[in-house]
Amino acid sequence: MNSDTVICRCEEVTLSYILNAINNGAATSKALKLETRAGMGICQGRICRPLLEQVISIYTEGSIPERPDLSSNHPVRPVSLNELAGMGKDLNHADK
Amino acid sequence: MRINEHPVLGRQKKNIVNITCNGVDYEAYEGESIAAALLANDIRTLGYSEKGKEPRGIYCGIGHCYECRVMVNGERNVRACMTRVKDGMRVESQSGELL
Amino acid sequence: MTYDLVVIGSGPAGMSAAINAASYGARVAIVDENPVTGGKLLGQMHEDPDFEWWIGENIAREMTSEVKKLDIDTFLEKEVWGIFPQWNVMLHSGEQLQASNVLIATGAAEKAMPLPGWTKPGVMAIGAAQTLTNYHRVKPGHNVAIIGVDPLSLSVAHELKMADVNVAGIFLPPSNALTSDKSSPMQIIDDLSGMAHLAPNRLMKIAGKMAKNPVMKKAAAKFYPSFGMKVWGIPLFLRKTVLAIEGKEQAETVKTAKIVQNGQLQQENAKSINVDCVCISGGLYPLAELASSAGCAFAYIKELGGHIPLHSPEMETTQEGIFVAGNITGIESAKVAMAQGKLAGTAISDRLGLLNNPQKAVTRARKEVEDASEQALIQFQPNIGYGREKAEQIWREKADL
Repeated sequence: MNSDTVICRCEEVTLSYILNAINNGAATSKALKLETRAGMGICQGRICRPLLEQVISIYTEGSIPERPDLSSNHPVRPVSLNELAGMGKDLNHADK
Repeated sequence: MRINEHPVLGRQKKNIVNITCNGVDYEAYEGESIAAALLANDIRTLGYSEKGKEPRGIYCGIGHCYECRVMVNGERNVRACMTRVKDGMRVESQSGELL
Repeated sequence: MTYDLVVIGSGPAGMSAAINAASYGARVAIVDENPVTGGKLLGQMHEDPDFEWWIGENIAREMTSEVKKLDIDTFLEKEVWGIFPQWNVMLHSGEQLQASNVLIATGAAEKAMPLPGWTKPGVMAIGAAQTLTNYHRVKPGHNVAIIGVDPLSLSVAHELKMADVNVAGIFLPPSNALTSDKSSPMQIIDDLSGMAHLAPNRLMKIAGKMAKNPVMKKAAAKFYPSFGMKVWGIPLFLRKTVLAIEGKEQAETVKTAKIVQNGQLQQENAKSINVDCVCISGGLYPLAELASSAGCAFAYIKELGGHIPLHSPEMETTQEGIFVAGNITGIESAKVAMAQGKLAGTAISDRLGLLNNPQKAVTRARKEVEDASEQALIQFQPNIGYGREKAEQIWREKADL
């Protein structure tokens, strides 16, 4: 694969950037995320997480961990502070 | 680009609504997604990436990747693939900033 | 607002569960980020061996009508951003739904298969092309190249052809460490053997049967013609791969190269084909972010598509009151998803004390899931049965701890 190929589409992180980080010691997808920002974009890793896990597994010769290393934390979808502030309001608008 | 007749799904009958995209008028079918409406009008580029300023369009089509995000009636980061067109809707592409 | 059950995802699994529980008297709500119910039923269509067409949108319509009749509250265009004990389902617009039981039926996401130029407009995931064509009735392009050879990409190729789209070819993905199992002709012939009985082309049928015989499979992979074979009039290239997608503002050409007998890439004779759309098929993986954030235990099972939330035979995760059904448990068909949804709905109704004969109902629902899996026309994941067994075994081991 061309090492200029983008792996994390959101943060535009290329394969060569990721391999560099691995050479510098990043051994888990979490470490990769902190080093390169891959997996930190607006899609929250939905697109690139399986790729990052595979790359780590191949280049560090480890196996894919039982629990997703890039764990999902709240909020799992983008939510604005405004909307959070308006929480607990009465629901009258269920669509029937 | 529209499939009005289909050998298995039959004929589709939809009402036409009018939207604008970056100031230009387009015809859309009532109830379709913004992304589908724009694609039907041969528009594939929906925005540009933040860093490299590269053209981006529909990728996942299911609301996961957020690459199709556009501004709708002034509201930012609306996913074009998940949002239905409405008559008079004003769609604008964002330059790539998030908030 | 308080419910007996909140269902997240209105696809085949979610709606089945909601309908089932509501029919026993449970107070149910469904949440979906889409503007309509149906999930991935919308856009799917399959021809069965009797040449009858199964159309997902029609099934979705029937189920939606049931949902309305049973007075199930639906919250559409709402994203769930978190599930907190026990249990509060948080919607992005600020509402909070409270329920003793939650069913996470969020389906699957597509696995990315990167290659140079894959971010250009006009390049999309295969699922996007399917929804655009069969549900939105908009052609994804006039000249389409498909990268990836699997039951889904072949189905969509056929669907594009039916919609009068020119499919320039179905190609192998570029061979690299990340795609090793998807770019090997032997592996692909193996994986396609689950579709052999549906194959329209006589050669494909034979290829499918050959896949079951290891010696014949090796011969098939070796002698597969480099000019491809036609399925539904579309060239299927098991000896050609796409090196790159090129174009200025959008996809305009794909650069293809032959793979010679010994598996080597013939890059010098690369050929460019004009396209305005490229569909990438990398496989599906369970979309389980909510289950993860809610603290459910997971296992990595390749045969199911990736990381799955562990669940009991009645579809309950390690978090009491949180259930799962559908593709989130492993990639299978819509019919299996519906049966799993029904099983989860039954188990939840039992939990709520709404069943007269719980043992009978649950046993019957479990049998329906097994039957749906066995009778599946198309196996999206090869070795799905093995994957399911592995998941059950891990659950039993955990239960013994």
